[in-house]
Amino acid sequence: MIKILIVDDEKPICDLIDMNLSAAGYSCTAVQDGLEAIDAVENNTFDLVLLDIMLPGADGYDVMDYIKPYKVPVIFISAKHEVRDRVKGLKLGADDYLVKPFDVTELLARVEAVLRRYNKAEKKLTVGEIEIDIEARRVTRAGNPVPLTSKEFDLLMLFAENRNVALFRENLYEKVWDDEYYANSRTLDLHVQRLRKKLGWEKNLVAVYKVGYRLEVK
Amino acid sequence: MKFSQKLLLWTMIIIALTLGFSGYYFVNYVFETSLTREVGQALDENSILRFAFETAALNVPVKYNLLQDSSVEQIASQLEARGQGTQRLLRLSDEEKNVLYASDGFETDDELLASTEENRYSYRVIQLGEHYYIQTGSSVNALGRVLYLETLRDVSQVFEERRMGFTVYRRLMMLMLVFGIIIMYFIASRLTKPIRLLTRATKEMAAGDYGYRAKQVSNDELGQLTQNFNHMSEELEKTIGQLEDEVQAREDFVGAFAHELKTPLTSIIGYADMLRSRKLDEEKSLLSANYIYTEGKRLESMSLRLLDIIVTKKEGAKLQRIPVAALFEYLRSMFLPNQSMEFIFQYEEAYVMADSSLIQTVLVNLLDNACKASEQGSRIETEGRLEQDGYRFTVRDYGIGIPDEEVSKITQAFYMVDKSRSRSRNGAGLGLSLCTEILALHGSSLEIKSRLGEGTEVGFLLQEGKEEQYEAIHS
Repeated sequence: MIKILIVDDEKPICDLIDMNLSAAGYSCTAVQDGLEAIDAVENNTFDLVLLDIMLPGADGYDVMDYIKPYKVPVIFISAKHEVRDRVKGLKLGADDYLVKPFDVTELLARVEAVLRRYNKAEKKLTVGEIEIDIEARRVTRAGNPVPLTSKEFDLLMLFAENRNVALFRENLYEKVWDDEYYANSRTLDLHVQRLRKKLGWEKNLVAVYKVGYRLEVK
Repeated sequence: MKFSQKLLLWTMIIIALTLGFSGYYFVNYVFETSLTREVGQALDENSILRFAFETAALNVPVKYNLLQDSSVEQIASQLEARGQGTQRLLRLSDEEKNVLYASDGFETDDELLASTEENRYSYRVIQLGEHYYIQTGSSVNALGRVLYLETLRDVSQVFEERRMGFTVYRRLMMLMLVFGIIIMYFIASRLTKPIRLLTRATKEMAAGDYGYRAKQVSNDELGQLTQNFNHMSEELEKTIGQLEDEVQAREDFVGAFAHELKTPLTSIIGYADMLRSRKLDEEKSLLSANYIYTEGKRLESMSLRLLDIIVTKKEGAKLQRIPVAALFEYLRSMFLPNQSMEFIFQYEEAYVMADSSLIQTVLVNLLDNACKASEQGSRIETEGRLEQDGYRFTVRDYGIGIPDEEVSKITQAFYMVDKSRSRSRNGAGLGLSLCTEILALHGSSLEIKSRLGEGTEVGFLLQEGKEEQYEAIHS
């Protein structure tokens, strides 16, 4: 199981990240102090550290500097949104920089991306009889290849990473099409229908009234 | 064109013109003098020849009453030959101005001859080939005849000297100009040095280096200008420094504000998103809802505090003479029902000049902070004492204290010494900012003394509201 250390001086935010990452199948530890974070990294092995910058004890930059030799991937999560802060964070060797307030799906996607870069993430996702090879972008259903378009694949990834979570229409659209969502757009619904048909998910990929879609699996 | 080059150019033009004119005048003057002298000598020579001729004519044997043309020729050639070393050039003409005798090389026109009259000298300067001559003319009376005698005197030397004079002078002028240019170049560049230094200083300043100063190299008007310029840059640097500090303070405030705003927003948005998109169990739903509530409350208290600060700043304080007893009564009613701490109020009766509700806010804030810093049941003392220079309020606690290096920071907006502790009691880090703001309106400020682990003492001084003062204001 992949272990993630969450460092943030705000308990509510620690809990928020913890709840979401745990639901996505990660094992989380949360600390609220820079010095505690250093202790935690020294005494345990983590696959990823989510690090706030404004911390009591030692600030995020110092913590980053200190834990660098441990070669743990780090994602900064901070309210500091200015370019120079982000550049500073990334220059120190962080793998990504997420600005508060963040979207939970985005957090999950970034975590996933960084872990994949370190070959720590699952290269294959399995949802029922559907198997997704993330790197090759290939999908098989009970061993038979399913041809998907690029947008359909991105959409499938979102559902697979957020199982049992209602994903909002605008959210899905913005993530996959990277564009502003218009209320009456049918593009998304069309793609979801095609996905249902190709994967045999007529029952799993349910529409949520006034929200969007949810992938339901046991 | 550079100023120093202009200076150089104009100086050179003026020097060249002056030298040119004066040189020309001088050489010409010398020439004129020499020529006048030569003319005098030529005329002398002429008259000598005339006497010589007349004398010779007397010695001619008198065969006839009139001097014969042949005799004239004879005498003339004798006179001509008698010139010492140099060849004498003369010409003799009769009454009708027909030439009787002319030396070799006497090849002028007859203009002077035509204008020569009896008993009068005349002369002119002529050029024959490459030579210059003074031609003189006079009349000779000999043996009842009137003859005309003309001589030529070679004055090429004088003209040559003038030419040489000009050549030498031209060379001299060139030399002087070259030296002049070199010397003036240095003088001009030296004189314009302050200008160049100032130009560089303005450039440096324009490029953002406000600390750059121009070096003062002279004490003249330019030196004065440099001094004034440097003075101006100092003032400018000071002002810009102040502006930068203000901008920095504002930026820090905005940064801190953004951070304080985003933190609760992150929780609210995150938990709300979870509630709307996930089927959560009851415990998690409650936890999420509670977080949304508390973080929302935090936002609310922060915005109220900010509003307080803004309103206080904008409206100012209405200072009135109020009894200290009223303030302490208010504090008693606020804090005494709270049994968790031991509150002690002590004060001397007096009046202070203050805006009652604003000072209440300050005191409540200080007491709140004292409570937050203290363990349950510990003592919190509030004192009011009349002093020489005013009325002093002091709030003392025996709590955790503030580390030395943080004392100066605690009045900054959003600054919290112990975040988690302060958060858990709904602090926004704005209380002391507000207090500072209010006290500034009263012409006062917070004085903070603290020892880590032993407690903190926060005090401020208010103007005492004396009776006569009050009456003076209101009468």
